[in-house]
Amino acid sequence: MGRNLRLENLTKKFGNLVAVDHVNLEIEEGEFICFLGPSGCGKTTVLRMITGFETVTEGKVIFDGKVINDLIPQKREFGIVFQSYALFPNMTVEQNVAFGLKVRKMSKKAIAERVDQMLDLIGLRDWRHLYPAQLSGGQQQRVALVRALAPNPQVLLLDEPLSALDAKIRVRLRAEVKRLQQELKKTMIYVTHDQEEALSIADRVVVMEMGQFRQVGRPIDIYKYPASSFVADFVGTSNFFKGYRAEDRVKTEKREFKISKSESVPSGEVFLAIRPEKVEIFKQGEPPSHLESPNLVSGRIDVVTFLGAAVRLVINMDGEEVISDVIEKEFEQRQLRQGERVLLYFPPEAFILYPAKEVP
Amino acid sequence: MSRTDVLKDYSIASTLLSDRTLTGIAMGFLLAVMTFFMLYPVYDICRLSFFKEGVLTLTNYADYFTNARIFRSLTNSLYVAFVTTAITTVMAFFFAYGLTRTTIPGKGIFYTISTFPLIAPSIIQGLALILLFGRNGLVTRYLLQTDWNIYGATGIIAAECLYCFPNALFILYTTLSAVDTRLDEAAQSLGASALKTFYKVTLPAAKYGIASAAALVFNLTITDFGVPVVIGGNYSVLATEIYQQVIGMQRFDLGATISVILLIPSVGAFLLNYYLTKKSYALISGQARPFLQPSRPFKKWAFSIYCWIPCLLILIVFGSVFLGSFVKTWPYDFSLTLRHYNFPSLGGHAPLWTNFWASVLKGEWQSIIAYKYAPIWNSLWVSILVAVGGASLTLLAGYIVEKKKPKGEQVLYTLSVLPAAIPGTVMGLGYILAFNKPYYFFYGTFWIIIINIIICNFTLGVLSSIANLKQIDRSIEEAAVSLGANPVTTFTRVVFPLTKTAFFSNMAFFFMRAMTTISAVIFLISAKVKLAAIEIIFLDIDGRTASANAMCTIIIVIVVGMLLAMRLITGKAGLKGMAVSN
Repeated sequence: MGRNLRLENLTKKFGNLVAVDHVNLEIEEGEFICFLGPSGCGKTTVLRMITGFETVTEGKVIFDGKVINDLIPQKREFGIVFQSYALFPNMTVEQNVAFGLKVRKMSKKAIAERVDQMLDLIGLRDWRHLYPAQLSGGQQQRVALVRALAPNPQVLLLDEPLSALDAKIRVRLRAEVKRLQQELKKTMIYVTHDQEEALSIADRVVVMEMGQFRQVGRPIDIYKYPASSFVADFVGTSNFFKGYRAEDRVKTEKREFKISKSESVPSGEVFLAIRPEKVEIFKQGEPPSHLESPNLVSGRIDVVTFLGAAVRLVINMDGEEVISDVIEKEFEQRQLRQGERVLLYFPPEAFILYPAKEVP
Repeated sequence: MSRTDVLKDYSIASTLLSDRTLTGIAMGFLLAVMTFFMLYPVYDICRLSFFKEGVLTLTNYADYFTNARIFRSLTNSLYVAFVTTAITTVMAFFFAYGLTRTTIPGKGIFYTISTFPLIAPSIIQGLALILLFGRNGLVTRYLLQTDWNIYGATGIIAAECLYCFPNALFILYTTLSAVDTRLDEAAQSLGASALKTFYKVTLPAAKYGIASAAALVFNLTITDFGVPVVIGGNYSVLATEIYQQVIGMQRFDLGATISVILLIPSVGAFLLNYYLTKKSYALISGQARPFLQPSRPFKKWAFSIYCWIPCLLILIVFGSVFLGSFVKTWPYDFSLTLRHYNFPSLGGHAPLWTNFWASVLKGEWQSIIAYKYAPIWNSLWVSILVAVGGASLTLLAGYIVEKKKPKGEQVLYTLSVLPAAIPGTVMGLGYILAFNKPYYFFYGTFWIIIINIIICNFTLGVLSSIANLKQIDRSIEEAAVSLGANPVTTFTRVVFPLTKTAFFSNMAFFFMRAMTTISAVIFLISAKVKLAAIEIIFLDIDGRTASANAMCTIIIVIVVGMLLAMRLITGKAGLKGMAVSN
């Protein structure tokens, strides 16, 4: 049995404000967990309670079977990587990495070996005598990463580690963090507000909102089967329609959609969600006749946004706006143009239903 | 790679004192120090002024307000303070305007010269004005051959204006450099004339800074002791009246009463300054200053000439005291001599110093170095201890207030900034009342002087420590802690190295204050413990003006030497932000 980290009814209150509201989670040893949520959702507070920098109002943090609520941060031996790098500006790269080893009173030789090993991991061996201010942001964050790893922490916690970096470097470092995690098989807990980052890096993603865990699951499940309209909206993009469900039909203000019968949401007020890439587009007169007619709607292309591999179209259906993503090649071949009238098809099985009352 | 392979037996020591315990101990210590050495003496003064033989009474106040001669010290103080405030604020404002909003040449020189008054005891202004405009003044006696002289209100005001100038300038300089100059440009592009822009845009934007500078000058002037004591003549002000009553007449009760009366305007001005500084900082945009448009030639000339006026006055002050210490008989015989540096026997005795030189030297040199220079050695020794102690304590207090934020942190903060509100003379008298008891072994020794100077100057030290610590990201400390460093290691290896420059400049500040301060310690010196700055006053009272000049010059040389040494150590220097407030 591995050294698991468990959160039990973990709660943090700042005065009357409930920042983290009775959350539960079991993290396996060697797992890569990502906390994802908008700013102010409480994800950093959860992280800080795990590190010991924030006191626990209620509930427990359990590591390796022991409650560690009152253990001081030094004794937890969890490594932390901060958004602001937090390298010691008065020390060189080498001294930064050696810091955690020195306070453990390791022998000089052992320290030197370990520092070499760490610097090799990130390919910065030749930069050892430089000061943080002489490094780029990406290099600084890599040093911070191995500085946290050097004392071989039981868990590595990363608090929005890449948010301060340029988009390009962010993607590259993201891959590097993932590679390190797989190589070292270290438990990592990663906090971010960037859904793309979370989906691409984690074994499991925890989506947070207003101090609560909205969904915990594999990235692909989170994307394909969002548990709530909040998750559907926050992770990726979704089109929403408000309507009333009866059997396999949902009546919205302007029209009626056919949905798949297997949906478990009871009849009544619902939200219909559909991903932009699931909305199909046909030129006038183009659609194959076998398509279900109620889900075929006509509209006009209002806005065309080029995203690279895909093109995002905003389509106006009698005043209702719908987003549809088509791959760039198809967009070119079919010569879709702004202002053109088109037919949209909403496949019944692509709809996800949510009870209307859960939306605040 | 399992954990045990790599790091075998290395783990965090289990005897770690928790951070909260350490913070608690440090906090308790600081609160005790501030309570015992600041609140208690002030409390004793209040007690003495309101009680007579154990009964609550206002007789002391009745005595004060019915004695016309003593009562005049209040109106005199207010008059001098208001006039000085008006003149200094206006002068410093335009000086700061010239340095921040025009493209005059030589800004660095102007700035440097304007800071000179900070490195000398406030008394230097008085000494210089006496040399120039006194009974035997160079200008009054020698050039104009008039009987008019500067003693009294005129002299106090003139000297205080020069003394307070750099203090007001720092605030106004900061204010004017922070106010967005693009506002001015926007106003002018909308067709406002230069003059209209000035009083419709520039002035309103700087109003809190101006008011804050005025409040500070008022506080400095009304609490100053050095200037009125040498140039005031019969013109009595509150700060000197306290000394008169206590040391001259042994009327401790009246001294305490006057102290309480002096506390009112001085605390008021302090609170006003404090409140306005906060307001003023809220107006600072934090945006980069855009390029300054070259000023028109007339503006440039006008401000260049204007800025030279205070600078020349300051240079004349320093020059005349310096020269006055080397000439035979000012202003009649200007032949050079060193004889004023052979101070009249002050009967001084300094630990270590005196014994050492007395055993090494013989004859006249023995008496000069071993005995006559003892106060200087005392001052130096006190200043070094004050520098180390003051900088350390204020760093500790700042660290607790800014970074640790334990319960009751507000109380510590309030106690730490309060000393600036209490006039030095009041604090000095308070120390006599509170500690002149046989069981306070430190009374009458060096140590009470050292403690007093540290406490009196605590405010600025703490504020600059806090400002510096604010720049250290919280996660830097957390990084050290998460890597396993205990609170002491975190502080010594990470926090302290990052605040080192500020620590050294705080040391310089405390050293300077210890070398130049007069008002509080004049009550605490004794026949055994003498200080150089205080000796200036006694030399002057004895009519040995030239030797007073010489003592003043020596103090300046020591302070300048220390600043240069600091510059060598830290690679940085500058008196910026070292304006005193007591």
